[in-house]
Amino acid sequence: MGVFEWLRLIAGCLFLLIGLVIFFTEIFGVFHFRYVLNRMHATAMGDTLGISSCMIGLMIFSGWNYTTLKLLLIVVFLWLASPVSSHVLARLEVATNENLGAHCTVYPELKTLEQELACAKPEEADLQQNGQADHAFSTGGETK
Amino acid sequence: MLYHNLYITILVILAVMLFPCLIRAVRGPRIADRLVSVNMMGTMVMVMIAILALMLDEGYLVDICLIYAMISFLSVVVLSKVYIGIYEEKRHKAEHPEDETEGGKSDGSF
Repeated sequence: MGVFEWLRLIAGCLFLLIGLVIFFTEIFGVFHFRYVLNRMHATAMGDTLGISSCMIGLMIFSGWNYTTLKLLLIVVFLWLASPVSSHVLARLEVATNENLGAHCTVYPELKTLEQELACAKPEEADLQQNGQADHAFSTGGETK
Repeated sequence: MLYHNLYITILVILAVMLFPCLIRAVRGPRIADRLVSVNMMGTMVMVMIAILALMLDEGYLVDICLIYAMISFLSVVVLSKVYIGIYEEKRHKAEHPEDETEGGKSDGSF
């Protein structure tokens, strides 16, 4: 094997290894987090970055032909489809969970959130002294 | 031969990684947990099919991989919509136990 062949092998192996590490991280995240909406965060990474780096490794192995183009098409399709399926799954969880407030802060309307943020701006010092529950969120909005 | 051994190694690693996803799909406390893990398994199987396509040198297996991606996406979307519909119907029936014919109408919403 020439130098080019070795370079191709090393580059492809590197990308495939990155993909496998990301898949492992995904599984770790799914077992580490405690709630579905957090777990989805970990799986979305594998759906986009994990499969795309695996496919790039396979593209390097495959060379310059139609198989490479099809592999690219799979990656592009998953980049479009994965956010949509995550969104639909989140809607399923929010629609069917009756005590969602136990896991995260729920704002029924966007207007309530905006009002709360507007109120939190001048009273930030008071909020820090009182140590209220939504203190972390309102300061997060402040720092932009 | 070198490439063959490499592909076999990666396939074995991916096959071992499928078992934790299966455990999460069985143990998941909510339906969304199960759907998320099934989606994750689908992603790994897609990589496995793509590796098989290169290992066996059969280009058409990549088309099967693309169709697998589409069916996996479709199944997640359809199952989510179906479960939302079932939940709405159950809640509607619990709130209004007297009218049974109303359930047929609410199917059009999803």
